[in-house]
Amino acid sequence: MLSLKHSIRIALGSIGSAKMRSALTTLGIIIGIAAVIANVSLGASFSQYFTEEIGSVGNNFIIIQSKTSNLLHDNELELVKSTPGITGVSPVSQQVAEVKYLSTTRQISVQGVNEDYEEVANIRMESGSFLTDKDKYVAVLGHDVAYEKFGRTISEKNTVQMTFVKANGETVTQNFKVKGIIASPETSFVQSGIESDVRIFIPISTMNEIMGEDYYWGFFAAAENMESISDVTDEVDSRLARNLGVPARDIDNEDAKPYSLLNQEEILEQVDQMSAALSSLLTAVALISLIVGSIGIMNIMLVTVTERTSEIGIMKSLGYKNKEVLTMFIVESMVVGLIGGIFGTALGVLGAYAVVSAMGMPHVFPLNMIFIGVFVSIIVGLVAGVYPANKAAKMNPVDALRHE
Amino acid sequence: MVGKDLDRSVAEGNDIVIDICDLRKSYRLGDIEVPILHGIDLCVKKGEFVAIMGPSGSGKSTLMNMIGCLDRPTSGKVVLMGKDTLAISDNELAELRGFEIGFVFQSFNLIPRLSAYENVLLPTYSNSRKGHNSPQRAKDLLKLVGLDDRMDHRPTELSGGQRQRVAIARSLINEPSLILADEPTGNLDSKTSEEILGIFSELHRNGCTIVMITHDPEMEKYVDRVVHIKDGYIKNN
Repeated sequence: MLSLKHSIRIALGSIGSAKMRSALTTLGIIIGIAAVIANVSLGASFSQYFTEEIGSVGNNFIIIQSKTSNLLHDNELELVKSTPGITGVSPVSQQVAEVKYLSTTRQISVQGVNEDYEEVANIRMESGSFLTDKDKYVAVLGHDVAYEKFGRTISEKNTVQMTFVKANGETVTQNFKVKGIIASPETSFVQSGIESDVRIFIPISTMNEIMGEDYYWGFFAAAENMESISDVTDEVDSRLARNLGVPARDIDNEDAKPYSLLNQEEILEQVDQMSAALSSLLTAVALISLIVGSIGIMNIMLVTVTERTSEIGIMKSLGYKNKEVLTMFIVESMVVGLIGGIFGTALGVLGAYAVVSAMGMPHVFPLNMIFIGVFVSIIVGLVAGVYPANKAAKMNPVDALRHE
Repeated sequence: MVGKDLDRSVAEGNDIVIDICDLRKSYRLGDIEVPILHGIDLCVKKGEFVAIMGPSGSGKSTLMNMIGCLDRPTSGKVVLMGKDTLAISDNELAELRGFEIGFVFQSFNLIPRLSAYENVLLPTYSNSRKGHNSPQRAKDLLKLVGLDDRMDHRPTELSGGQRQRVAIARSLINEPSLILADEPTGNLDSKTSEEILGIFSELHRNGCTIVMITHDPEMEKYVDRVVHIKDGYIKNN
């Protein structure tokens, strides 16, 4: 009986005798497998990247945003703060101010927060320290504000001038002493689309005094841990709803409530869903190229079978059984698939590595993809080889021998 | 040493290698049945060297295909080594070819990608006799046909005569009961032909059964018996 070892030797001989053709055939599989591997691996990296990004925004955070002005006040703040499972909460308001340092002026987003914000938002300081509730006219600068925005370095204890525009059009100008610089990357893409490193923090009490307001645009709170975050969010929701007079039947109706709630878990879920949808779409496209590749193998195997008709006749005259001829050609097709799979997997891994490196994302490679990639390519070769090999096996030895 | 192995079949006591009885073969060309062989009777005994001679179109190639188990008769009996080729399965037929028949073709029919040595060894990947050290045997047979210094050459690097020697070595690898040669010297010049026929004579002297298809009357002096075939009939027997 024809052994696998001898089948592979015969197959390698045949593949090697038409190198250019074999290379082009294999290319179809290489591209298909590489595309699948790269997509799946990139998907995993993206997902990991977003999870880390969201994690750096804060620890188990819950965001409460008001949809109207003059909704959230100090008693709502107390309500959230006293909810069991909440470890800290900072009110958040945001104004775009004209910021002047020496002779340079820039428009920068200024956020009013309290001292809890440092822990809730996972702030790491590069120099100086974060705001405390005793501070008045002091500011903490984002990394890019301190080093890039003004074309020169702003250091601790320097003074910047900020001009705010009140609701009635009046402007208020005030000097702020720089208390600290936040380390980069200080990320937060959850916060209303402002570039993460381009922010200035000032005490919320100071901001409200300047603006002449007594309400907050939102709260940034932290739960004890990820396990309880969902329950804690629900509890905050029901407390606020009761306090703000939202009817009990509207508690699950986001449109009827004057505020919205979002927590880290929900954002992670959304991101996961998004990246899963994206990567399955890309993988589907890649699979199509794999199918095209397998048709390429089938095509070339049919040509090979026709070309080697007299050889099939010789093999049969030497005593090879139909099944052995079948095995011979299927093995050849599988070897073509395997070679494509090995190179394709390597190319896919390297490609994903290059893209991930260029984008500065974490390297996550699902190791089992290597096995799946190689395995799938062998199966593709097998499927593509069945029809041509069967054609070869069924040949009548006399006709095959006579073939020129 | 190899020549001694070939005496094995005589020792087994079955004296008749080929027994053909009223063999008919016809092919279908569209709706028309074209008869090629009209009732052939032929018997070849162990150790005989028989030539089947006839002009082209006489049906001698068809007869060879029947003897070589490459095709089956339409009716009649072809019994090889006691096995009726009409009664056995395709797989058994392939095994019969692999073990009992050694083919030598006019166009050599070597695999161009493989070396001389690998070509000789090729049949054993499918069928090999128990107790045979096939790689050693392949080397011995190449030595026997005078190609011990050409083992690693591919067919394209060999002359016609050398290619046919490789083919003869290949036909002997599984110690067949019968060497079936189809115009083995048809593509060779007369000097090389004589060398090849010399090898066949040597094999015959060592007890090998050989059936040779040819249209060359010169062959008569090498063989025990000539069977003339014309228009699908045997003219003498």
